[in-house]
Amino acid sequence: MNTSHWAQILAIVRLEIWKTFFSRRGLWIYLFALAPVLLFTANSIYAPREQARLAAIAKSHSVSLADLTAITRGMSSSVVVAKLGEPYEQHVWRHRADHGRFFEHDVYNYTDGKSDFTFHFFNGILRRIERSDPQSLPENLLVFATIFRFYFLRLAVFFGCVGIFTNLFRGEMLDKSLHFYLLTPVRREVLLAGKFLAGLLATVVIFTASAALQWEAMLWQFPHAAVAAYFAGPSAAHLPTYLGVTALACAAYGSVFLCAGLLFRNPIVPAAVILLWESANLFLPATLQKLGVIYYLQSLCPLAAAPDSSMPAALTLLISAAPAASVPVALSCLILFTLAVLAYSAIRSRTLEINYSTD
Amino acid sequence: MNGNNNVIFENVSRFYGEVLGVNRVNLSIPPGITSLVGPNGSGKTTLMNLMTGLIRPTHGCITILGIAPTDPQKLFRLVGYSTQFDSFPKGLTGFEFILSFLKFFGYSSATSTVLASKAIAQAGLTDAAHRKIAAYSKGMRQRIKLAQAIAHDPKVLVLDEPLNGLDPLVRTETIALFRRWADEGRHVIVSSHVLHEVDLISDRVILLAGGYVMAEGQIHGVRTEIQEHPMQILIRCDRPGALAARVFEQDHVVAAQILPDGGLLVQTRDADSFYRQLNHLALENIRIEGVAPADDNVNSVYQYLVGGEEASK
Repeated sequence: MNTSHWAQILAIVRLEIWKTFFSRRGLWIYLFALAPVLLFTANSIYAPREQARLAAIAKSHSVSLADLTAITRGMSSSVVVAKLGEPYEQHVWRHRADHGRFFEHDVYNYTDGKSDFTFHFFNGILRRIERSDPQSLPENLLVFATIFRFYFLRLAVFFGCVGIFTNLFRGEMLDKSLHFYLLTPVRREVLLAGKFLAGLLATVVIFTASAALQWEAMLWQFPHAAVAAYFAGPSAAHLPTYLGVTALACAAYGSVFLCAGLLFRNPIVPAAVILLWESANLFLPATLQKLGVIYYLQSLCPLAAAPDSSMPAALTLLISAAPAASVPVALSCLILFTLAVLAYSAIRSRTLEINYSTD
Repeated sequence: MNGNNNVIFENVSRFYGEVLGVNRVNLSIPPGITSLVGPNGSGKTTLMNLMTGLIRPTHGCITILGIAPTDPQKLFRLVGYSTQFDSFPKGLTGFEFILSFLKFFGYSSATSTVLASKAIAQAGLTDAAHRKIAAYSKGMRQRIKLAQAIAHDPKVLVLDEPLNGLDPLVRTETIALFRRWADEGRHVIVSSHVLHEVDLISDRVILLAGGYVMAEGQIHGVRTEIQEHPMQILIRCDRPGALAARVFEQDHVVAAQILPDGGLLVQTRDADSFYRQLNHLALENIRIEGVAPADDNVNSVYQYLVGGEEASK
């Protein structure tokens, strides 16, 4: 690469970046990227309001946490009311059971001002207790880690890269405008590098901005001092790490889908195959798991999305993963993989032909 | 002439799967205006795409002034190609389109601006330069493609159906532009299926049919080589009847027809002998006012070579 190549790459990036960011075909990518931001924002608005509501209720229906936790299944509704007093909210339903009979379903709500308890009585006997505690920062971080691994990386970034990188060549083939690049004194490898960098710039901006916004939206409900204290130590690297993982995901998936757009008339087919492989990654033996990009991306994530006791068994099964790769190994593998795919694409780009009638 | 100054095809074939694009093409195209002539599907665009590297030959070798089409870095400093594809990068004005194209040549912004303005002016689009290409008419789109092809001042211009969609005035101006470039020693390679137009502009023609080169060279030379079709010569004189009787005495004359306007149309298998004989006849009290070949044009040649049906397509 000499300076004229870099000037050509810059010219390509300038031409590509506008249409990559503002393509009508790509509006859905923004929806995919921003959906978790909306989720965390909604939660950050809801959680403090819910806390304020419970605190206000507790002033008129004061119940201690000890009394609430002393209630056990099998108690009658009259016993519960005798111990705790009248609930602050009560609902009654009549359900039809077998043989035309009915049963009563009573729902009583109590609070100590922080936690919300919901008791379900069936024909007057307590059968189910639901407890909702105030959200904590570590809990939210775990939620973030889970959404980041199972939605953001696997779906949002993945499909975002499908949409942007496959269009760099295939989209121009469909628009019949790729030949203009091929009529310039630009080596095909330089064209590929320029297009890749344009796609990378767009995806990194969109998805790291989304990850940063999700992070801010998640922390918004917590007092600034508490957040500052929590992230004063090693946790300070969490956000930069998530952003770095996002950028690496864009580079690795981007190289794959750039190559797919170059080689396949319909890149959705290889994208579906790769999605299947990446999704099946969790169910594969540890050795085979290492053949997926997602394995190395997850190895770099700061928090493991560990299953807790309340998670459904199916989800627990999904989350069981092979031991994570070390950071140097994961980084090296992702970078080498990206470079290898780009090198292969560069070789194939040399024989790229314009034949719109068959595309 | 040095081969390095020509566009050379050596035994070039191109197949699209089972379908023939062009087959066993051997050409050496010197500077000047060269027209690729043939009906749709004859292989004109395939030849142009091959010489600009947009597609690759299945067999054979191509060089443009000594440079292979696989080396775009060198090739497109010498070659400008106006394609038949009628689509453009989205959202650009004509000026931005040419300017962005010139950026790839490493010109400074100031130089690019000057070159873009000059090319647009040559294509007669100055007034519309800052309008979006999406709002251009077909003729304007044709001209902006021409501007893109000439913007970097190439030595070889490859122009696929460049006169399509142009109004008569612009057509005349564009043909004059081709002539000027050719006179400057450039290669101007144009494709056309409008045969009478080719007669007007070409220094030489390459006749294509079904992916094969049927004939190439100066149109008169090509016509002379077609022996199975007698040459038609139109003679204007004061006594066409007497002249008809005299020319029939020659073995190589196969037909003579007196036209309603008084002209005499003669068909001969040996034009050179006929012209020599005509000089003697001119001395025998027959006043010859004019002699001209009647079928020494691309349309006739093409019909003789590939048949009237295909030529009329």
